[in-house]
Amino acid sequence: MDWKAMLAFSAPLAVGLAAIGSGLGIGKAVGSAMEAMGRQPEAAGKIQTAMIIGAAFIEALTIYVFIVFIMANGKLG
Amino acid sequence: MENKLGLDFIARSIKTTSIVLVIVLSFGLMYLGVYPALALFSGGVWGVLNLMFLSILVQQTIKPGEINKAKVALLLMVKFPLLYAAGYALLVIDVFDQLFLVAGFSLVLVIIVLKVVGRAMFLDQKKSDTNRLQEAG
Repeated sequence: MDWKAMLAFSAPLAVGLAAIGSGLGIGKAVGSAMEAMGRQPEAAGKIQTAMIIGAAFIEALTIYVFIVFIMANGKLG
Repeated sequence: MENKLGLDFIARSIKTTSIVLVIVLSFGLMYLGVYPALALFSGGVWGVLNLMFLSILVQQTIKPGEINKAKVALLLMVKFPLLYAAGYALLVIDVFDQLFLVAGFSLVLVIIVLKVVGRAMFLDQKKSDTNRLQEAG
């Protein structure tokens, strides 16, 4: 198996794994934020902010992987 | 200075990032060239818009009371197909270097981290100063 075949196999796999990880992460973050807001509605603003920032960082990780995938795809020609 | 990490924190981060982006664009045009500077700027604008739409979407969907479904649907339409398609278009066209796009996209995240770190350091410093004053007094 040459490097191009390995890259063609592993790059989409990496995107898929990153998407799964991000989905689980965002799901856990939002779920916990909902619980926290239910318990302390007066702190909803702070919890929402922390959740939005967390979601942005998690989303960014997937976008990085996607960009690496596009760069790797470009190398495959 | 209180430890205010409310919803205005994101608005302030977006404002700071916009100012930094304008500065980066002007310096980038001078030292990097037109296309790298534009790539940095475009990536940054994309990151800012992404955070802005995410923030508005969360605020509109997670709130007490009735949700404006039409507004939420419009936000979803803009963020998920349109913004992501624009990002994909920026990535696949050959004009912009992808690394500069990534650097621009990361700028808003870097600014958030720096703001939080700065706030934590400043508050720790203020607390230790207050404790020292109380011990001395």
